[in-house]
Amino acid sequence: MPSEMPLTEEERATYEWQMWVSDFGEQGQRKLKNASVLVSRCGGVGGTVAYYLAAAGIGRLILAHAGNVKHSDLNRQLLMTHAGLGQSRIESAKRRLKELNPRLEVVAVAENITPANAPRLVAQADLIVDCAPLFDERFAMNEQAVKQKKPMVDCAMFELEAQLTTLVPGKTPCLRCIYPQNPPAWKRQFPVFGAVSGAVACLAAMEAIKLLAEFGKPLLNEMLLANLRDMTFRRVKLAKKPDCPVCGKR
Amino acid sequence: MAIRIHIPTPMRQHTDGNAVVEVSGETIQAALDALGEKYPAITQRVFDNGQVRRFINIYLNDEDIRYLDNLETAVKDGDEVSIIPAVAGG
Repeated sequence: MPSEMPLTEEERATYEWQMWVSDFGEQGQRKLKNASVLVSRCGGVGGTVAYYLAAAGIGRLILAHAGNVKHSDLNRQLLMTHAGLGQSRIESAKRRLKELNPRLEVVAVAENITPANAPRLVAQADLIVDCAPLFDERFAMNEQAVKQKKPMVDCAMFELEAQLTTLVPGKTPCLRCIYPQNPPAWKRQFPVFGAVSGAVACLAAMEAIKLLAEFGKPLLNEMLLANLRDMTFRRVKLAKKPDCPVCGKR
Repeated sequence: MAIRIHIPTPMRQHTDGNAVVEVSGETIQAALDALGEKYPAITQRVFDNGQVRRFINIYLNDEDIRYLDNLETAVKDGDEVSIIPAVAGG
């Protein structure tokens, strides 16, 4: 990833606490400044991912999310506000992110991911964070991630449980290896607390930061299963599926 | 000792809310059959024509059974079996 643009004095002051992380430092911060991340959607998970990436000094966020703010968004979608009810979600997200980090470039797309727009949106990013609620969107991003050789942090949740893994084409399975089929009974609306979506989002943001700044050990070939009901956290192994229709021959 | 099967939240309606069900058996298939005997409704959620549904993964401890001996994978007392369904974000 490019790391040409140096940090300004304002950026050094803003990010000094994280630049004190010895294996991250100013070099890591420059990598974040020069990075672009696609986040879809930017609700309970994606909005929190975007907020932490904005706070960390990512240079550019491409955000995809359709629709207007509803009351039922507000238990978890922290980029939305009560005052913004009935107004565009993506504009609310962009406004809140720019309030936190006015240096951030936001590409605000008032659409959800589809097979038609995924190639163009993925092409603009160095990394994808998959936070979409529907499997058609997730699989569309996965297919492009594999085709364009872009890493994808994949996060999911249900009730008080969360799943997280980092998918890197050529090094790990893809999402279709893990789940070959769309679960037919899955619905966009499901039980969850905002603190659960926020928890998995914070972990996903840290995965993205580590990958972009090339430090730490990302969660490759394993899935974190977090159960916040009894606070058990464990990891299971993942493997590439040789006959995967998406990545099997790549 | 027994084999402990971890039930994911979306399926606990079929196990009277139990997060863990203890069963006996010598293979994953036998353990899941024993689960189905206790809670018949869960069998249809996990299996389709005798095969594990393709949006569900079964783990023996931390290993995906697809990369072991699938449903014929041997199990022993103290093993942990997990049913992990696909979930999404939002």
